[in-house]
Amino acid sequence: MTEILQTRALGKTFGGLDAVSDVDLSVQTGEIHCLIGPNGAGKSTLFKLVVGTYAPTRGNIVFRDRDVTAQRPYQRVKEGMSIKMQTPSVFRELPVRQNLHIALQHHVASQALAQEEDRLLELLELSADAGKPAGVLSHGQQQWLEIGMALALKPALLLLDEPTAGMSPEETFRTGELIQQLNGTGVTVLVVEHDMTFVRQIAQRVTVLHFGKVFARGSIEEILADQRVEEIYLGKPHEH
Amino acid sequence: MYQFADVFAFLILSAAGLAIVFGMMGVINMAHGEFIMCGAYVTVGLVHGGVPLPLAQLGGVLAAAVIGVVVEVLIVRKFYSRPLDSLLATWGLSLVVTQGMLIVVGSSVAGIGTPPGSFTVGEYSFSVYRLVLFGGALAALALIYVIFMRTRFGVHARATMQNPRMAQSLGVRVGRIYGLSFGIGAGLAGLCGALYAPTMTLIPTMGATFIVESFVTVVVGGANVLLGTAPAGLLLAGVRTALNAWAGQIVGQIGMLLAVIIIIRLLPEGVSGFLARRSR
Amino acid sequence: MLRLVNGPQTVGNGPAFWISFLVVLVGALVYPLFADAYDVGNFAYFLLWVFMALGLCLMWGYCGMLSFGQTFFFGIAGYAYGVLAINFGGGTMTLAALVLAVLLAALAALVLGYFLIWGRVGGVFFGIVTLSATLVLAFFLGQTAGPEWRIGEARLNGFNGMKGMDPLNVPWFDDETLYFEGSSLYYLAIGMIVLVYLGLRMLLNSRFGNVIVAIREDPQRAELLGYDVRKYQLVTFIIGSSLAGLSGVLYTSWGQFITPSSVGLPAAAMPIVWVAFSGRGDITATMVGSFLILVAFQTITVHSQQAALILMGAMLLTTVMVAPQGFVIGVARLVGRLFRRGPSARAGD
Repeated sequence: MTEILQTRALGKTFGGLDAVSDVDLSVQTGEIHCLIGPNGAGKSTLFKLVVGTYAPTRGNIVFRDRDVTAQRPYQRVKEGMSIKMQTPSVFRELPVRQNLHIALQHHVASQALAQEEDRLLELLELSADAGKPAGVLSHGQQQWLEIGMALALKPALLLLDEPTAGMSPEETFRTGELIQQLNGTGVTVLVVEHDMTFVRQIAQRVTVLHFGKVFARGSIEEILADQRVEEIYLGKPHEH
Repeated sequence: MYQFADVFAFLILSAAGLAIVFGMMGVINMAHGEFIMCGAYVTVGLVHGGVPLPLAQLGGVLAAAVIGVVVEVLIVRKFYSRPLDSLLATWGLSLVVTQGMLIVVGSSVAGIGTPPGSFTVGEYSFSVYRLVLFGGALAALALIYVIFMRTRFGVHARATMQNPRMAQSLGVRVGRIYGLSFGIGAGLAGLCGALYAPTMTLIPTMGATFIVESFVTVVVGGANVLLGTAPAGLLLAGVRTALNAWAGQIVGQIGMLLAVIIIIRLLPEGVSGFLARRSR
Repeated sequence: MLRLVNGPQTVGNGPAFWISFLVVLVGALVYPLFADAYDVGNFAYFLLWVFMALGLCLMWGYCGMLSFGQTFFFGIAGYAYGVLAINFGGGTMTLAALVLAVLLAALAALVLGYFLIWGRVGGVFFGIVTLSATLVLAFFLGQTAGPEWRIGEARLNGFNGMKGMDPLNVPWFDDETLYFEGSSLYYLAIGMIVLVYLGLRMLLNSRFGNVIVAIREDPQRAELLGYDVRKYQLVTFIIGSSLAGLSGVLYTSWGQFITPSSVGLPAAAMPIVWVAFSGRGDITATMVGSFLILVAFQTITVHSQQAALILMGAMLLTTVMVAPQGFVIGVARLVGRLFRRGPSARAGD
């Protein structure tokens, strides 16, 4: 297997505080990789470094064998990343269909656009709401729409920051199925998540962050069996 | 050096009121120039009525402050969640006031003349009143510092600036803080007008004379007023003085604007953002 | 390409809309046959401001950039036209002067826009920095009274303004020259407005238009969809500002003069009032609304300029307090809804 994404000794300092330090993350092509860790472990910061909304203090990021450390987010997207941030951010005043349209128009010829929009709307179960402004959708639907926009970019690597935040258990499960279905078509997925049920459902490999550093990594089975990981989550021997 | 003090005073006095309102509420008051005008007109009116100049100036400041509070309650208050609309609303107000004044009081009012008195350093002679203006600028900065760092109101105001909702839940009466802050801002604008009233011709559009300087000082200062305004004033006064001496007033103003445009490219968060990052 | 005149970014896409559009257009074209020359000239004058309003609508309503600098570019292009037309010796070179003057405004927008957008100046600061630039230009032009302020043959003349340039003209049949004045200027303005209006509609409903509305809604999200937000903003700023430049050239050509007061306050506030009142969210609303305001205010201005400006200020204040999306667009949506009640419902947008 080859690595689609690597971070090398990546670090980010906020006013003297190391939010992320010396992180070597590696995501293999074709896998579903979960990034987990207790609150404040630096997951979201690491995610933003990978996406490019933060510039790292140290280290670099390699994506598809190219150093993208200095690239702006839109350039990384053009290289094949696709991103869904933690809080749903859709174009609230624009109709649902147009939200997808804006993401799709990168790759899809204009004649095929409507058809492709329909396909995605159906996949996201939003066909009935296609004409409504995205802002009126429920929280869960907005999360789905945003996943749909991320998909519309036909990414090689899909980056999801807590994709199930605010979803019901049932919606969460369906999201998991959607992610696995996509993974089946060859998309690599990196998910930041703290809902362990969800992680169990989808993860193939896991990296655990703790205090901004890589604490453990391995297959999902190894991580679940690791006593130390359980401890940092339950917070027994260490402080926190 | 003397020139520098002059320009510095002008920048700080023009900008202080605008900066307070922007720093506290995120609102740019487009009618700022009209509060300056108000301070100047009240001062001159009182002097014509026989009131001594310093008292008249105090009257100008108070009048502007009171009107400021009224404007905040009637108009600005509705727009805290829509900063761009507050810009438009106050601009509309500014148009109404300027043009209304043109109709009511006509295009110009008899001035009151600069208080006499001068001193000489070497071969140059300087007007004492210029020193008063510089003193006024320093006093305005000191006043802002005292109000916001040394009073109960200041503590509440800074809390509100950081996080209005949190402050509210801690029992700070946010609405009143906003009203008072706007009043202080308007009062400082009035002070600017009151202090400059003896030195210039009074016309209803006189606010426009100050507005560019106040805008650029606030833009360069950045969001944190307490940290940014004074260094921004120093920086811009330096640029302006050098250019004035080299090539005259108008080049000084154009050059200052160009400097501002370059500064915001280099320091997107303004001087205060830069200082805050350095001090971390 | 032409299909793009209809689409999600513009109000009025059904046959009913286009029929009314044609009716109004035909009405506008035959109007000079019935009206006296003075009125036609006046109408030409109202029309020439519409470009500036459309440009602001594009930047503010569609891309979320509130520029207070429309009269900055208006002034640059207006003065540039004057300087060029005088130095080229007028005649048919005035067309070259028009093109160069608008290009100069575009260049100014490129430079100013680069610094503002790459410096991440947004929101209220974008407005006040553009306004500062505008006021400084006005002060500067006001100071150019002395004879040393000349560019070639053209004297800037301080507050009194520059004058004496030829109006736009083209060679006509029988070795005659067609000067664009009165009804010919009127037709020129109508033609240009139709072109600019349809062009903007196509632009707005194209890929580009989709992206700039997305930027208005959420710039970060737009960037995460792979769009270089800054470039789109800069291009929008250049187009919008160049349209103000076009207004400036037509204005100078119309009156054969231009003064600093058309750059400074309160002139700088006018496009804001027109577009805010009309409805920044739609170019049709802006076009119609701005034109109507200009017509309505002409009568008041003749009576008292101050009263007209007070009313403008009050309109701006009322608009943001009562109908932040604008009055004309509100009325248009209401009419649209009434029409759609019929059996042919669901047509249109």
